[in-house]
Amino acid sequence: MPDATPTQAQVDQAIDWLVKLRFDSPCPRTRQQFQQWLASHPHHPLAWQRVSLLSDELAGLPKDLSRRTLEGSQQQRGSRRNHLKLLALLAVGGSLGLAAREPLGLPELLADNSTAVGERRRVQGRDGSRIQLNTASAIDLDYSVEQRQLALLRGEVSLESNANDHRPFLIETSVGRLVTLDGQLLLRENRQGLLLAVRRGQVTLFPASALRRQVPPGETLQVRRDGRVQAVTLHSDPWGWTDGVLSVQQMPLGEFVAELGRYRPGLLRCAPDVAGLVVSGTFQLSDTGAILHLLSRSLPVRVEYRTQYWVSIAAA
Amino acid sequence: MQINDTLKPAEVALLYQSHHAWLRGWLRSRVGCSEHAADLAQDTFVRVLRARQASPLKEPRAYLSSIARGLMIDQFRRRALERAYQQSLAQVPETEVPSEEARLLILDALARLDRALHQLKPRARQAFMLAQLDGMSIVQIARQLRVSRATIERDLATALGVCYRLRYADA
Repeated sequence: MPDATPTQAQVDQAIDWLVKLRFDSPCPRTRQQFQQWLASHPHHPLAWQRVSLLSDELAGLPKDLSRRTLEGSQQQRGSRRNHLKLLALLAVGGSLGLAAREPLGLPELLADNSTAVGERRRVQGRDGSRIQLNTASAIDLDYSVEQRQLALLRGEVSLESNANDHRPFLIETSVGRLVTLDGQLLLRENRQGLLLAVRRGQVTLFPASALRRQVPPGETLQVRRDGRVQAVTLHSDPWGWTDGVLSVQQMPLGEFVAELGRYRPGLLRCAPDVAGLVVSGTFQLSDTGAILHLLSRSLPVRVEYRTQYWVSIAAA
Repeated sequence: MQINDTLKPAEVALLYQSHHAWLRGWLRSRVGCSEHAADLAQDTFVRVLRARQASPLKEPRAYLSSIARGLMIDQFRRRALERAYQQSLAQVPETEVPSEEARLLILDALARLDRALHQLKPRARQAFMLAQLDGMSIVQIARQLRVSRATIERDLATALGVCYRLRYADA
């Protein structure tokens, strides 16, 4: 039974034909000779098919993007840091490099990736990224050789991606995906979708139902579920909680109370007739009771405690 | 007639039984993620099944880890490529950004091209990229690189030969 694989010589011939036919302007005689070659052996059509497929696949690539990608990837591989990483990967002992840096076993992170109401928590990623969970939040973290991944399951999280780790950081949210390498960003689920603030680095947003876009440092966006994105100006510093404070400027009391309510278990209500009063200041989140007390002293409101978990703010 | 140059399935099964757990542990200590290590271990045995191996294995663990190491390096390259791709996206006009569905196909093709380019001398690399990506003809490339047509023809044939080997022989 003959071997169904073309021989090396037949492959070489097919390649020579491909070069002549595809990258040159072949004359009719060349084409005719090619047809003769193709018919002259049962393996020739297969060799031709395989060789031309190789070239077809490459010919369909987006030119500019491909060139940049290839050059970028070679540059990265050439960089010293990656060289060291590759060496670490190759090291048999495993005492240097990845094995030493990335602890093993069941990640303790599993227990660390959610917070109760009123709780805030810092999580150190295995890749050296710094993550903070705000009140009533949950995330999943997943690291692979290819990428780092964070899924925001509930609430609010800030991420400071360790740029020295060269894996892309993917962030999955209910409204789409974000990708960054070196980004410092904040994500907060809200009724309309997701609030996204970028402090530094390059962050790309891929909304579930709209075109991707770059989000430059300093920008704060509301991403809606339908994919619409709009820049927003907030009455508060979205990063405040990462320093343990609620920092607001000219915020309507109704909004302020809603914000404060996120950090307190139970009900916190604001009567409509005082909801338009304006609040400014920086408040320590560690004691929401003290903030309520402060409100009653600086605004014409009183704080009614039905129980510890049912609090209303009404006109004084 | 069957030429017996691959491991027999029974031999691979034995190899699997004796060393699979060890290999997973070995991989986990390198990639830091047990699920990923399990995938890589699986891929390693798939390669073992396909690999040509004439003599019986004297050092099965060294053999397995060398294959696994190759897989990790492939992935390392792939990661560099994906990262470069992600960065490049930001630099091309919106109209040239491929859909998410096309992304994987493009990355696969680029990964193969990347590996091939790596094995080529600089001039052949350049010629091949000009021909395949930019669609330039041999005459145009020869003029741009200031060498003869025959040289470019040879470069392109060499490059395609490397691509062929990567695609059909070393798989």
